[in-house]
Amino acid sequence: MNITPSGLRRRLLLQALALAPALSFAGTAAGPTSNRLVLVILRGGMDGLGAAPVPGDPEFAGARGALAQVTEPLLSLAGPYALHPALAQLHAMYGRGEACVVHATGLPYRERSHFDAQQVLESGGTRPHELSTGWLARALGPAGLKSLALSTAVPLVLRGAAEVDTWAPSVLPEPGADLVARLMRLYVDDPALGTALARAHGLRERTDMSAMTATTGGAGFVLLARRAAEFLAQSQGPQAAVLELGGWDTHANQAAPNGALTQNLRTLDAGLAALREGLMQAPGQGAWARTVVVVASEFGREVQINGTLGTDHGSGGVAFVLGGAVKGGRVLGDWPGLAKAQRFEGRDLRITTDLRAVLKGVLADHLQIASARLEAEVFPDSAAVKPLALLRG
Amino acid sequence: MAMTQDAAAALAAHRFGLGAPNLERIGSEPQAWLLAQVGPADAPWGVNLPTALDGLRLQYAFYRERRTVHKPALASDPKPAEQQFAEHFRATVDADVQSRLLGAVQSPRPFNERLMLFWANHFTVSMAKAQVRGLVGAFEREAIRPHVGGSFEAMLKAAVTHAAMLRYLDNSASAGPNSRLAQRRSRRIATDDLRTPRVTGLNENLAREVLELHTLGVQGGYTQADVTALAAVLTGWRVADPQRLDDQDVSASYFDPSWHEPGSKTVLGKRYAEGPQALDQVLHDLTLHPATAKFVANKLARHFVGDQPPQALVDRLAQSFQRSGGQLPALYQTLVTAPEAWAPQQTKLKTPEEFVISSARLLGLGETLLARTRDGGIAQMGQRVQAAPSPAGWPDSADEWLGPEAMWRRVEWASRLAGRLGSRVDARQLAGSSLGPLLSAASGQQIARAADGPQALTLLLMSPEFQRR
Repeated sequence: MNITPSGLRRRLLLQALALAPALSFAGTAAGPTSNRLVLVILRGGMDGLGAAPVPGDPEFAGARGALAQVTEPLLSLAGPYALHPALAQLHAMYGRGEACVVHATGLPYRERSHFDAQQVLESGGTRPHELSTGWLARALGPAGLKSLALSTAVPLVLRGAAEVDTWAPSVLPEPGADLVARLMRLYVDDPALGTALARAHGLRERTDMSAMTATTGGAGFVLLARRAAEFLAQSQGPQAAVLELGGWDTHANQAAPNGALTQNLRTLDAGLAALREGLMQAPGQGAWARTVVVVASEFGREVQINGTLGTDHGSGGVAFVLGGAVKGGRVLGDWPGLAKAQRFEGRDLRITTDLRAVLKGVLADHLQIASARLEAEVFPDSAAVKPLALLRG
Repeated sequence: MAMTQDAAAALAAHRFGLGAPNLERIGSEPQAWLLAQVGPADAPWGVNLPTALDGLRLQYAFYRERRTVHKPALASDPKPAEQQFAEHFRATVDADVQSRLLGAVQSPRPFNERLMLFWANHFTVSMAKAQVRGLVGAFEREAIRPHVGGSFEAMLKAAVTHAAMLRYLDNSASAGPNSRLAQRRSRRIATDDLRTPRVTGLNENLAREVLELHTLGVQGGYTQADVTALAAVLTGWRVADPQRLDDQDVSASYFDPSWHEPGSKTVLGKRYAEGPQALDQVLHDLTLHPATAKFVANKLARHFVGDQPPQALVDRLAQSFQRSGGQLPALYQTLVTAPEAWAPQQTKLKTPEEFVISSARLLGLGETLLARTRDGGIAQMGQRVQAAPSPAGWPDSADEWLGPEAMWRRVEWASRLAGRLGSRVDARQLAGSSLGPLLSAASGQQIARAADGPQALTLLLMSPEFQRR
């Protein structure tokens, strides 16, 4: 068989298009919204009372014990609230009116399994494994909006009908177009493999890959945040991006000055600052003004310090909502109190704000997802959960 | 549809094993070939591999050195410390990873080795947590490999009380709130700084994961109170202290009564008396609990048969687990003789580790697999050997591994390997001899029409028939 290079490229394109109808980020003529949403998933259960302490609560110091003592002063917020000193740049955004803290928030799920809680956080259901696709995919797909996962695999929150690409740095050489074309023929009867390959190849053709190097850990998250900003700032870029940061399961010794919690908060803070910087500087400027970033974890941790200077799994925690489009400088949510009788099952921070209220508020006001769809498809059975007003104007 | 003998041999080699360049040695009875492999795992590949005690000694030596030599630099800059730590452990960690991979590549009992990998993932310990570094290989050799062909209960006990697990899930630092130790400590608390852990009570981490991930499963019907009570049962199971490491009779993990919570504990409605024997009794009862049988059955079927395994098969596996009291050979017998396990459609996607191991077996690579990278390049495809991201281990369904980026990395890896070997290998011949009737006519044709040897080999490695099992 004799195939000319150009014929080959055309074939590849046709097959790629057949398998992945929206390989490119080109929008429709009318143009989808230019607003941008970033979801940052903190895996492992971030200690809400560690990230956003509440020194103004009379029970705080007693319940937290050694965890309440920090070497640097807390960064104060309105009312009884504060931020961990490692979140300095987030605190600056709060001061500029670009960031909100939502305290005592959490999911309808109240057991304490990481894996089930993450399933609920990402699927948008009320029980684990009740839904097998992601709430963000269900929100974006029918609206024709596109998304990007900054990871090698697609996280559950983006799995489903929506168009999703993934990106992560690579250090290996790039396979050529001819090989890709042959592989696409090999995958004619295996659409799962074919779609994955077509998307990866499509994304690479649109990006300058020369500056990429593989990184791990904290630096990796900041790099991914920076890349996310670059993709989001493109006029034909995705409307939504998902970043993940793990390592929040701080059962032991969490308050150590260079311990896991502090390091992770520093990394998160640097990543959020990199997002802001990237979206401010980018051409087509002002992308930050059209951006909302939601930072959430699958659950918070027990109020009481445990026996090993850490915290065990809990329920209520904290979420951050930031971005140029956010009406910030506020701490949202009703404070339930930390006294034993005020806790959930006598142990956890009681949830007073359903996290879905935050997510629904952002999807409705920022991405204009109709409320009927939010209640029926995106977060089924959530009619009673009223969207929270988070944006300016 | 009646299956030919060749097709059964190919499925035995790829679905139940770790791949093979040809199917001749499997013989005419693939099921018997698989079941004859079941037993304690092969002796580990390599010599002078570290025991858990060796790993602990290495860790303490590191901390001692860090305290005395490098202290000033460390407080201000954590990075050099991490580097030192990594270098200090590199030889041990590399030897462990090498042993695991080359053992699997060269094993004459690939089904048994697959089972070893399965159980090591079920009872995950991970060097993603620094305090576990140097102990993961020892955990596999001491807690998993001896029990692969034995009883679930014995493996459970060995895994839960192994030093690596006690470290990984924090039990080593969990004390009964009313234990002698906690009482002593509470009298002189609030004097030292935050960096020294002051243990005053329970840590529930191991207890919760024993119930959720090792035995009953999250649907298994336990409560928060059961988690707390099991945590109390587990108090006292600790890792040897530094000063005892050179004692004659020291073991890496042991039961320390002064850390144990006094009094009886009630787990799942049953009372257990104070003392170390309570853990044996709880683990025995957990093994016999119907939820454990269901949980293990589902996981095993999902691993070997399909991301959504047939319920009838899961039910039969659960029955044989329960009827045998968790005797694993009975479970494997049910699996291997189940008609559902031999469906010709290959639906499971290999993990990056399985992909690399099976490629090495296909090409007879042996030690050259690790000539350039410490893990054969598996980490580049999204999986760090012996360093799973969470106690749940690596995911076991295709959509978890099928991101576009992950797919791309496989192509990159395959074409790099093929670039080195492809001109010396006849990929067309190898495709036929390895995959037998599993190789579709279309894939065979694509491989045959490749532009050159390396490209043909890349196509073979990336074919759906080789990516899936």
